[in-house]
Amino acid sequence: MAMVRDTRAMATASTMAKYVVLTIGALLMLAPFFDMFIGALRTPAERLAMPPPYWPSDPQWQNYLRVFTELPMGRWLFNSLYTTFTITFLQLLTSAMAGFALAKYRFRGRDFLFRSVLGAQMFPFFLFLIPVFFILRYFPLAGGNDLLGEGGAGFLNSYTAIILPFAVTWYGIFLMRQFFMGLPDELMDAARLDGCSEFRIFFQIALPLVLPGLVTLGIFIFVYQWNEVIWTMTVTRTAPDLQTIPVGIYLLRGAFVDQGTQSLQQAALAVSIAPVIVIFLFLQRYYIRGLTAGAVKG
Amino acid sequence: MSVSWKKGSFAAVLAASTALTSATWAQDVKTITIATHYNEEQMAPLTECFRAYETGHPGIKIVFQQAAYGDFLQTILTSRVGGTSPDIYNIYSIWAPQLAAAGTLATPPAEIQDWIKGAYGAGTVGAATINGTLWGIPTELSVYDLIYNKKLLAAAGFNAPPKTWDELHDMAAKITKKNDQGVIETAGYVYGPTVSNAVHVFYSQMYAAGVSPYTEDGKGTNFTSPEAIKILERQAALFSDGITSNTNVVDDMAGGKAGMAIMANWNKSDFVSAFGDEFENTIGVAPVPNDGGAPGTMLYSFFWAVDSTSKAQAESWELLKWLDTPQDGKPLSCTGDMLNKLGALSGNISDLAAMDVKDSFTVPFVEAVQSGAAKSQPNTWQASENERTLRGYIEQVWAGTMSAPDAMAAADAEITAVLAEQP
Amino acid sequence: MSKRNRPRRASLIGWLGSKQVAPWIFLAPTLAFAVVFFLLPLVYAFYISFTKWDSLTPPKWVGLDNYKYILTVDPVFWKTFGNTLYFAFGSIALGVPLAVGLAYAFSKSRWQGLWRSIYWLPMITNVVAVAYIWYFVLDDRFGLMNRTLGLFGLGAPGWLTNPKIAMTSVILIFVWMQLGQNMLLFSAGLSDIDESYYEAARLDGASEGQVFFKITLPLLMPTTLFVLITNFIAGLSYFALMLALSDGTGGPMRSTTVTGLYMYQVAFSDLRIGRASAMAYVLAAVILVITLAQLRLFRRGGVEAY
Repeated sequence: MAMVRDTRAMATASTMAKYVVLTIGALLMLAPFFDMFIGALRTPAERLAMPPPYWPSDPQWQNYLRVFTELPMGRWLFNSLYTTFTITFLQLLTSAMAGFALAKYRFRGRDFLFRSVLGAQMFPFFLFLIPVFFILRYFPLAGGNDLLGEGGAGFLNSYTAIILPFAVTWYGIFLMRQFFMGLPDELMDAARLDGCSEFRIFFQIALPLVLPGLVTLGIFIFVYQWNEVIWTMTVTRTAPDLQTIPVGIYLLRGAFVDQGTQSLQQAALAVSIAPVIVIFLFLQRYYIRGLTAGAVKG
Repeated sequence: MSVSWKKGSFAAVLAASTALTSATWAQDVKTITIATHYNEEQMAPLTECFRAYETGHPGIKIVFQQAAYGDFLQTILTSRVGGTSPDIYNIYSIWAPQLAAAGTLATPPAEIQDWIKGAYGAGTVGAATINGTLWGIPTELSVYDLIYNKKLLAAAGFNAPPKTWDELHDMAAKITKKNDQGVIETAGYVYGPTVSNAVHVFYSQMYAAGVSPYTEDGKGTNFTSPEAIKILERQAALFSDGITSNTNVVDDMAGGKAGMAIMANWNKSDFVSAFGDEFENTIGVAPVPNDGGAPGTMLYSFFWAVDSTSKAQAESWELLKWLDTPQDGKPLSCTGDMLNKLGALSGNISDLAAMDVKDSFTVPFVEAVQSGAAKSQPNTWQASENERTLRGYIEQVWAGTMSAPDAMAAADAEITAVLAEQP
Repeated sequence: MSKRNRPRRASLIGWLGSKQVAPWIFLAPTLAFAVVFFLLPLVYAFYISFTKWDSLTPPKWVGLDNYKYILTVDPVFWKTFGNTLYFAFGSIALGVPLAVGLAYAFSKSRWQGLWRSIYWLPMITNVVAVAYIWYFVLDDRFGLMNRTLGLFGLGAPGWLTNPKIAMTSVILIFVWMQLGQNMLLFSAGLSDIDESYYEAARLDGASEGQVFFKITLPLLMPTTLFVLITNFIAGLSYFALMLALSDGTGGPMRSTTVTGLYMYQVAFSDLRIGRASAMAYVLAAVILVITLAQLRLFRRGGVEAY
């Protein structure tokens, strides 16, 4: 009897411990956001006071609206959404097509190609930063360039420069191949007997069946691209019209050097992360499936 | 016929798809892009002038592009590589050798050159000149001096700023206050995190000690001179004696949390907005402390330059001259008006005469310029790279991880090697 | 179907849609991309790394000079290399155990959707916002962190201003950013472990701690290795957070300058494109070696995905 009660008490204690750990962790996750949210409400005078008070006495709610009138937030938001969605679409298309070919066809060089896809993932992105920049600059016949790539700006300062280098993801090809491997070959053979072309098989039969995989990969790509800064900043430095939210906030930091304007900067941060939070509250379940699917087999 | 139509439409599609500057296809209106490191608010007086100019010149559209000071050189260089440079940029004079050597800058037409030489002081024209070639129209002039908080000094029992560095050290020690957690809340003296927060201060103190940071020919440094070593060792003492720390930065001056710092005059507008009516009663200016010799300090300047690939060079120079000449009987030119509101100084003789420079804050800076005590920062090769290197070594001395002689010997070796690359 | 009996496809479209040609069409965009944005850049950067080039005037061949300078002369490169390793190892050493522990708690708790949303927040916040949010939190005198420590009578570290701990702060922020993702990966790994193991252990009278260390951890090995490798590669080439946090300067005494950031400064601020390319190659070579070594471990650990 006593032993049973002991185990039960222990179990309760460990359950308690779990929730304590989770709650502390959650507070640590949320506290910095809370700090930003509060910070955005302080008056310029409070920011300059000595010592500055933590709690705003006269909350400046309008700072959250001023962000839209005093910063090109709308433009940034459009650019972020446009480039992120385009890249996501392109990567999904190329990943699905290549993954399908590698999973469902036998041809010479297939294994070599698949191993190359795996190997390519090991090359860090910064290795490409410099050469791709100049390849886009000297791209023949683009942006006023002649055949030799001289004379114009190439693809620089264009959406193409932001998007094109991200048209393919090696990881995505790998992941989509895993998804397609799961489809039975009989399905395709039956379609072939019915006279379907390979394209119809791909678009009308195979693709709908891996839709969950596509959604998960899509969300994965979306998060990555939404947060991409280094590349986009490098190619849009002189094109404010093309800058995305993080790039715009970083490059316009000169507007916030004055301590009195820091509340506005914190408001801008809050506004910059709101859209993606909304998107994620809806889509999170797919994302988890994508994180785990195919990547780990215990 | 059909071939050329195809070609044309192809080009149009390309241009549209790559979102190039609209100027390439809208021929009737010429767009002039002006890049500066000033933010939108600081630019306001100039932006107003742009609109006025557009009204008077229907064929011209002026676009303003801002880049943070820390990114500015990078922005010019990358835009240049991309062939999408702004037409006009306001550049820091030390960037000029690199830009000029790469063929980035256009030389002003002869009549503009003559006008510049007449309308600007010789010292500032010099800052925009490299090897005898004048590259642009001088704009903002920044001078370093010792800036101090009169109230904090008074509270510590001092009613006059320090004249020597030893005095400064003692005074700063009395001003510094730590909070309960042992962090310096109010520092007697402050530096800052940017390259110039360390390097410009160091140069200013070298000039105050009567030594130029670089040799006459621009191929070597004087960092290992006894004066330079002594300056650095005394700076480091402020850190090791707990008088200042990396926590305490020049921005604290406007927050009333710093006693003294060697800072440039362009901070005036921040002080005015922070202290309002109390500005002149709070902030004081004095010569950079030395060991008692003649006063000396550093000044640096910016100038308007036109890109050599600009399709609107003639229009750009014309616009710049208009911006730098008083219009409609106003006392100040457009550029002068903006600099004045910023609390900055101008190299333009008539602008400087018409600026509000009579307040107690600005007078010492103007005097330093007019007396020749402020020496123009030399335009050396790869200056921004070298200054980053130098900052790295200065920080080592501050932190006590390197002795001043060792650090300066290393800095000298590294920077001399870079200076030798100059073509 | 034998070759002889195959009906002749009359149309080009039919030929393109055949089993022999279609896979190549599916692969065509990727292959074209691989040539223009993978192979060409690698060759191009390799060539550039043997030149002195400011990108405004033609490149000059200098042989191995750039590599020699980086490896033997430049005092900054090795410092940044050390910072890079410290960051990559540190973020794993701290982040992975934390993620495992949290995942263990998470996988057996209620309200998973709520926990998930909270732990995800940092991950979906763009890195510039992360940097600035923490910049305010970690302010030495008036930030939330040191104010809170002050309430408990604790000291106030110079999180981002003290060169000795600035990189550690960056690691803490990075771990904070990544925790949600790693926690979810581990909780997925945990859910794959069969309940019967636990039941058997409990019948044998094993304590909660024994179960965790003797059963859960070993069975979680494949996930752990996967997370280790992906995080390590990502960590070695990461620099967006350091850039934004330090305003591009790389921290006090370059304490948060990792090699990637240094390369970026050298390339785009100093316009030493050749030297920067050589740096990229040196670091990439190191990453490749470490990754291959890890992959061996990975395979031995029983993870077959790669």
